[in-house]
Amino acid sequence: MNRVGFSMRSIVVITLLMIAFSVFARGVYQTDEAFLAEAFNDEVPKSQVVWVKGDLRTSISDILGHRYAGLRIRYWHKDGRKAWILEEIGKEKPITFGIITVKDKVEKVKVLAFRESRGGEIRYPAFTQQFDDAKLSENNLDRHIDGISGATLSVRAMTAIVTLALYLDKFTSQQS
Amino acid sequence: MNRRMRSLHRSMGAVVALFVMMLAITGMMLNHTSELKLDQRYLTWNWLLEHYGVATVEADAVFLLDQKVISQFDKQLFVDAQPVTQVQRPIIGGVVIDALMIVATDNALILLSPEGEFIERMTSAAGVPPMIQNIGLFHGDPVLQTRDGMWRSDFLLEQWEKISLSGISWSSPQPMPDSVEVDLAEYFHGKGITVETFILDLHNGRIIDRFGVWFLDVFAVLIILISLTGLWMWARQLR
Repeated sequence: MNRVGFSMRSIVVITLLMIAFSVFARGVYQTDEAFLAEAFNDEVPKSQVVWVKGDLRTSISDILGHRYAGLRIRYWHKDGRKAWILEEIGKEKPITFGIITVKDKVEKVKVLAFRESRGGEIRYPAFTQQFDDAKLSENNLDRHIDGISGATLSVRAMTAIVTLALYLDKFTSQQS
Repeated sequence: MNRRMRSLHRSMGAVVALFVMMLAITGMMLNHTSELKLDQRYLTWNWLLEHYGVATVEADAVFLLDQKVISQFDKQLFVDAQPVTQVQRPIIGGVVIDALMIVATDNALILLSPEGEFIERMTSAAGVPPMIQNIGLFHGDPVLQTRDGMWRSDFLLEQWEKISLSGISWSSPQPMPDSVEVDLAEYFHGKGITVETFILDLHNGRIIDRFGVWFLDVFAVLIILISLTGLWMWARQLR
């Protein structure tokens, strides 16, 4: 009887811990302003926009696997470094990513806000550093990104959004 | 005894006959749902939609911008009855400048095209003052009331100057127009109640919730009783 009581308590404690972990995984880890201030050493340049239309819209749809919900994308550009704040839905809710690109390469990727109940592990540097120095290769990343068990959709969203940032980096470079 | 049983049998028979007919007719209809396309036909009688609780919807906030109805349901922003984007915070107002609809939350401006397409979400990272309390217009320019004071910009919304003005027409919530509410009710609840659902609920009694189920239980007991009284009279005749 004691063993049954003990195992029931264990199940309850483990369940509560799992719920607590998933709740704590949600939140704003860094504000957009703080990310930009960090990216540009507190000298944030004026933002610019790229309009999502024509062939660009088609390419973005191919990268994301769905139509981009928006007519323009804002970015910040200074001394060859571009900062992108982009959102993509993991499973049901949007995840906000901050990406810095330099000369067609990824310098840094951060999860700024995570709203899903599962998959928050993608915010850890151990995962995000896989994207360091990533480049575009025929509108895909030039490398394989290892997944995380239980965070497949979040990993997929992050991979797609980093690819999009690299594509936009290239597109805006060609435009200027 | 036999006469009393016959009288009871007749009384119960009259009551039961009506329900048996109803069950038989609805049962036959359900047997031929596909052929009769009962699952593709919709009933939109107001009393029925209200009975099923799908006649109305209640938005968290509604603003009328130009000819468009902007509403929020939980974290979804709608233009008329079309979902356009997710918003994490409650919308607090909206204005129209040039060919742009601007909807404000406390920490962002959501830009929409005149057709209601989502353009962009501008936050303080793009220069928008934080802690927004209301949005209005002053001589065609957008004005924000924030906890930190009043700010005015132009149609680009990128440069904001602190001001102190009076005579601003502030945005205020409006009631949902009936026509859009009907469309939104259709968006959330479908085209109405399918004939199949209605007939099925008539058949199993659930049309009047749990009372219908108990009612049919009573009816089932009546059928058992009428069968028993019938069998009893038949047995007596054989003797």
